[in-house]
Amino acid sequence: MAQEKQILFERDELVRTVNRMAHEIIEQTASPSELVLIGIRSRGVHLARRLARKVEEVTKTAPPVGVIDVTPYRDDRAREQDRRAVGAFEIPVDVDEKTVVLIDDVIFRGRTIRAAMEAVARLGQAKRILVAALVDRGARELPIRADIVGKNIDAGAGRRVNVMLEESDGVDQITVSDW
Amino acid sequence: MPRRNLLSIADLTNDEIEEIFELADTAEKLRADKPAGGRIMATLFYEPSTRTRLSFESAMHRLGGSVISCSDMKSSSTAKGETVADTAKVVSSYADVLVVRHYWDGAVRAMAEHAGVPVINAGDGGHEHPSQTLCDLYTLKKEKGRLKGLTVVICGDLKHGRTIHSLVFALARFGASVVTLAANGMELPQYVLERLEREYDYSLAPVATGDLNAVVTETDALYLTPKQPHQLALFTQLDPGLQTRLNTMVSGLRYDAFYMTRKQKERMKEGTTGSSYPTIGSEFLREQRFKNTVVMHPLPRVDELSPEVDQDRRGIYFKQAAYGVPVRMALLKFLFAQNEAKKASAKKAATWFESPETLGPQCANPNCITVTEPASARRKFDFLPGGPGGALILRCLYCDHRIKVQLVGHVKSKRYCAYDIALSDTIKNWFTNKELVIFDSIKAAEEIGYEPYKSGPQRNIMDQTAIENAVRDIARQILGDCEDPDRLLVLGIRSKGSYLAQRIAAELAAAQKRKIEIGEIEIYGAGDEIRRPSPADPEAGPLNLKDREIVLVDDVIYTGRTVKNALDIIFRSARPKSVRLAVLIDRGHREVPVKPNYVGKHIPSSERERVRVKLREAEHDEKDKVVIYSIISPVEQQAGGLG
Repeated sequence: MAQEKQILFERDELVRTVNRMAHEIIEQTASPSELVLIGIRSRGVHLARRLARKVEEVTKTAPPVGVIDVTPYRDDRAREQDRRAVGAFEIPVDVDEKTVVLIDDVIFRGRTIRAAMEAVARLGQAKRILVAALVDRGARELPIRADIVGKNIDAGAGRRVNVMLEESDGVDQITVSDW
Repeated sequence: MPRRNLLSIADLTNDEIEEIFELADTAEKLRADKPAGGRIMATLFYEPSTRTRLSFESAMHRLGGSVISCSDMKSSSTAKGETVADTAKVVSSYADVLVVRHYWDGAVRAMAEHAGVPVINAGDGGHEHPSQTLCDLYTLKKEKGRLKGLTVVICGDLKHGRTIHSLVFALARFGASVVTLAANGMELPQYVLERLEREYDYSLAPVATGDLNAVVTETDALYLTPKQPHQLALFTQLDPGLQTRLNTMVSGLRYDAFYMTRKQKERMKEGTTGSSYPTIGSEFLREQRFKNTVVMHPLPRVDELSPEVDQDRRGIYFKQAAYGVPVRMALLKFLFAQNEAKKASAKKAATWFESPETLGPQCANPNCITVTEPASARRKFDFLPGGPGGALILRCLYCDHRIKVQLVGHVKSKRYCAYDIALSDTIKNWFTNKELVIFDSIKAAEEIGYEPYKSGPQRNIMDQTAIENAVRDIARQILGDCEDPDRLLVLGIRSKGSYLAQRIAAELAAAQKRKIEIGEIEIYGAGDEIRRPSPADPEAGPLNLKDREIVLVDDVIYTGRTVKNALDIIFRSARPKSVRLAVLIDRGHREVPVKPNYVGKHIPSSERERVRVKLREAEHDEKDKVVIYSIISPVEQQAGGLG
């Protein structure tokens, strides 16, 4: 049988991919001053900060980075009452008239992004919302797309894709493993 | 006779605020006189509160009145689905004043519209908390003897709390200068700054905070000052030379107060310990230039104030909390007296925008009462032409959320066009004459029979056969992807999406030899009900969306915002197993990350073009076809051609 854990990305490749994603973000934004990055808790936040640094390096404009925890909005986690909870944003940002990039490590069923879009609407009226994910697992349950993707991984529903980042896991690595 | 409420700090004039402060000074006398004898205050707290609620109840008792309350609104009839409007009507017959806290933005205003007695807002969602602002101002006044000319530094999370925004506006009204020291990423929002400039004639100067090094790191402060003779007001642009001069000036300033806000520690998990969050500790206390600077905090605090400050005469936050009772006594007494004397608010009633069509544009804040419970609050907006870049802005009367107007229409001619700054005078006339209609989308306009102002020649891109083939093809693909046909639910977005949903469902039913359930979602149509998917057949029982495989159907996908709204509506009512999206036409130009699973035809189009699907089921469409044409903006047809 297949080995238990398979390494897909080592550090260099991951760093290169994040840099490429930063360039794609710049490409898809009319002006760097209208760009806002929002990291989804928790690894999305680390990615957002890395992307922001790279964007700043290239454009000399540091985009604001917001932090969102969508747990209260996730339809599959919370009861209705809790979903209304204020403050899904740990670090809110001004989104009016901005191009907002929602950033997560893995996009899979699409539910997290849908919840994040709902939360963004509470901050204001974004001109555009894009989604950037380091890994796109496909198998969406909602009609949501990722605009900027690091790598497409069709791992199959029974397997787990692990994104590990130095900031939280001490190592930059993407692996696929059995549950 | 309009009743006096306190929903926003803007409901009170400066003189009235001073009057309340004078009353608060005589709290002991009020306590002896018991002016509220025989009156009842009802407290309705839909969200937990300790300080606000207890201080209101204490204030009412000390005024000689009594208090009734519902300790847990979740266990009341709200749990049975009673609207806030009904609750307000009912409870106002039990009490003489209502004090309400609610988790929806604008809910308290909606309740005030339906209540027969004065209503006090004790916090509505993330919106306003005016009695807190009164307490803050009163504390400053007591400690410093005045408000005008004070320099108040507000620190911490300036983005989240609208209570902070209310305080900033209130300080501006009394002519205080404000220095903001925001934690990184928690700066005052742009609209607050714009409003300070526009409505309060404030000038803004960014200041490097190197000289406040003991207090804060990394972040810049913003110095907001009334446009009165003040050197700093002269500078708006920053170059390095100016910055040094500003620093010198700022370090020479006298700071009267520091207003700290809470570090939301419970939300800061691993990784974001908020290293740049401003804190006040011993260094602050030792600084000579802060020797007369008082420290305020709305409490509860986390660790942004060190306990050393408690022992210092400048730490006045417990005093600030204690002032809560006399200020609220004064506020209650003031409102009773005003309502007895039948004094209308000294502020003149604003003219607001209310759509002449059944349903106007929707507030973009999903937590706004007009969205969460439209039966309790009809959509109304402040009309604000002259936004940034000449934009037309609407500000929701309930939650203050702003939306930028994209599409306008004229109610008599039933025409719509994109908003353009060149039209602003025409639009103002329409607004004055109550002829202005504002739309969220082209779909919303066409749904109620509006036509584009002027259009170029039409080009056919699909005929009846092509449409029929596309529908059949989509149905085939749906079946291919479907895991369990018994769970299928075809949900059309009204009205063209509904017709297509019927057609797709008919194909599915024929192929599967079974009935396929059909529903519809109305996003832009008339009606005050809470938006939820309903069965296409009015005779059928209610739809059950839980664990269903939903196929959402629309005629054209463009920005994707309509689909996003539909998803919000679906997920507000239940959690489906999956939602797939079928559209007849995808014309590109997405503004949100929505992607259809099934597309009849991709049509690359420009933003100036309009794609229109005509279906024979629709009232005005004779036969099936899809046409494309360009929209000619009224501006291009020479000025004056409109209206």
